Amino acid sequence: MENLVARIGECVERGKVNKSSPYPRDMQGQEGTDELTRRALDAGVGPDEILQACSDGMKRIGDRFSRNEVFVPELLMSAKAMNAVMAHLKPFFQTGSVKAKGKFVIGTVAGDLHDIGKNLVAMVVEGNGWEVIDLGVDAKPAKFIDAVKQNPGCTVGLSALLTTTMVNMSRTIGEIKEQFPGTKVIVGGAPLTQKAADQMGADGYAPNPQGVVAFLNGGVQK
Amino acid sequence: MTDRQWEILLKTINGEASTPLPIGFIIDSPWLPNWYGVKILDYFSNDEIWLNANLKAINDFPEVMFLPGFWSEFGMCTEPSALGARGTFPPDEFPFAHKVIHSVDDIDNLPEPDPRTDGLLPFMLNRLKLAQPKIEAAGHKIRFAVARGPLNVASYLMGSTEFLTMMMMQPDKAEILMKKITAYLKNWLSLQMETFPSIDGIFLLDDIIGFMGENEFRTFGLPYFKELFDVNVSVKFLHNDAPCKVSAPFLPEMGVNLFNMGFEVTLNELKALTKGKVTLVGNIPPRDVLGSGTAEDVTEATKALLNSLDDKSRVIMSCGGGVPPGVKTENIRAFIEAVRGR
Repeated sequence: MENLVARIGECVERGKVNKSSPYPRDMQGQEGTDELTRRALDAGVGPDEILQACSDGMKRIGDRFSRNEVFVPELLMSAKAMNAVMAHLKPFFQTGSVKAKGKFVIGTVAGDLHDIGKNLVAMVVEGNGWEVIDLGVDAKPAKFIDAVKQNPGCTVGLSALLTTTMVNMSRTIGEIKEQFPGTKVIVGGAPLTQKAADQMGADGYAPNPQGVVAFLNGGVQK
Repeated sequence: MTDRQWEILLKTINGEASTPLPIGFIIDSPWLPNWYGVKILDYFSNDEIWLNANLKAINDFPEVMFLPGFWSEFGMCTEPSALGARGTFPPDEFPFAHKVIHSVDDIDNLPEPDPRTDGLLPFMLNRLKLAQPKIEAAGHKIRFAVARGPLNVASYLMGSTEFLTMMMMQPDKAEILMKKITAYLKNWLSLQMETFPSIDGIFLLDDIIGFMGENEFRTFGLPYFKELFDVNVSVKFLHNDAPCKVSAPFLPEMGVNLFNMGFEVTLNELKALTKGKVTLVGNIPPRDVLGSGTAEDVTEATKALLNSLDDKSRVIMSCGGGVPPGVKTENIRAFIEAVRGR
């Protein structure tokens, strides 16, 4: 069983989703997170233990990403492999036998259709045990406000890739803070810096998904 | 660009030093409409406003080479429009294109666009043709054929996450898509060159390059950029303000001789990565300094950049990326004065 759990972690790190997935090449024909998770649950492994393996795998790939040893496509594949695990674990979250650490509302701000950063963060945060509410791309301030209303106590993540849409990020933060002053907002995206985040009134800035996880786990865990 | 500016650009690319260093900025719809005091939609939809905004920029800053110069464009909608992507144009926000590829099967059904008639391309070209006499009367010529790069177009057509994931899961499909887009962009660039014989440069903009590792870049990027830049022109200009350390060593092989990058890499590092073969257009921070800094901040950052350069050949002073929204006249003026040592 330990082997199964370790293999799940390895498949998350390598981005191996299922047996039919051609990626990565050196694991073609092998089981991926989909099959291994199902087998682990059938064998009585606890969802917490599987979730921890997932989280460890994501941390390893995240660290390699931070060291520029792997790049966005590899990270996306890891996130995809982790999603296959989460599909099996979802029922345990729903019944409450596994508790989410909190709620994280994320979206790419109005006028911006870029989704890479937002998706990566959503997947990595989810793999770390948070419930993620993904508002998609081109999300207007009202959409964020509605999501905060519906998810009291949530933390909000705003993403932008275009320098040109950062004005909408600032506007969104302003509206959230006006209506829900206690709500923490973290921002990220290629054109952003800590200075820009401070100027916009964000509570946090992260240059990568691991930074968001650190912010959530360290700063605003409920 | 004027004949004199073009001559300076070519000399710089050939490694000839000039004092003070030349100044160049990429300007387009994120900056020009607001700086000129018009709505973005007016800038896109009224040829006279578009022309006058560009003329004002060149007249106000004659010391600056505006690249590509008189860029007729419709933001991110330009190239995807000919492939059927719906464009959304809010009155005073930046336009964007919607996806047209919702599953890999859609790739086989992508149309082969005719740049003469399809999407926004005829509007873009005709605007330039109509404006050509006035552009030339102002002492400028149309010098560049311009397009978003093939990776960028692919990511607009299907979403960047989906496109990057497809590279890993269905590499054969990703290659088919890249081939189709590259063929289309080649036609589009050729048409621009046919229409304006004064064109002697190609300008591609692609920041998706920055998200890829070397293996993916070699497979899905390098061959297609090589093909697009394999044209008999003097200037082969690439903009990628996303991370560029992986792709920078390949710039000479791609054919690129002029490169505008982000601000997180130093020009000295890039000189080393490109073995000094590529002219660099950069790179003070565009938003935090040129956009939201004071004139003093701009002066300080510009002088720091100048002082940091180990080798001043093949450098055009600029910001990292295009000129962002909200950059004030006094900040551009401060940049110019700092480069000129005043």
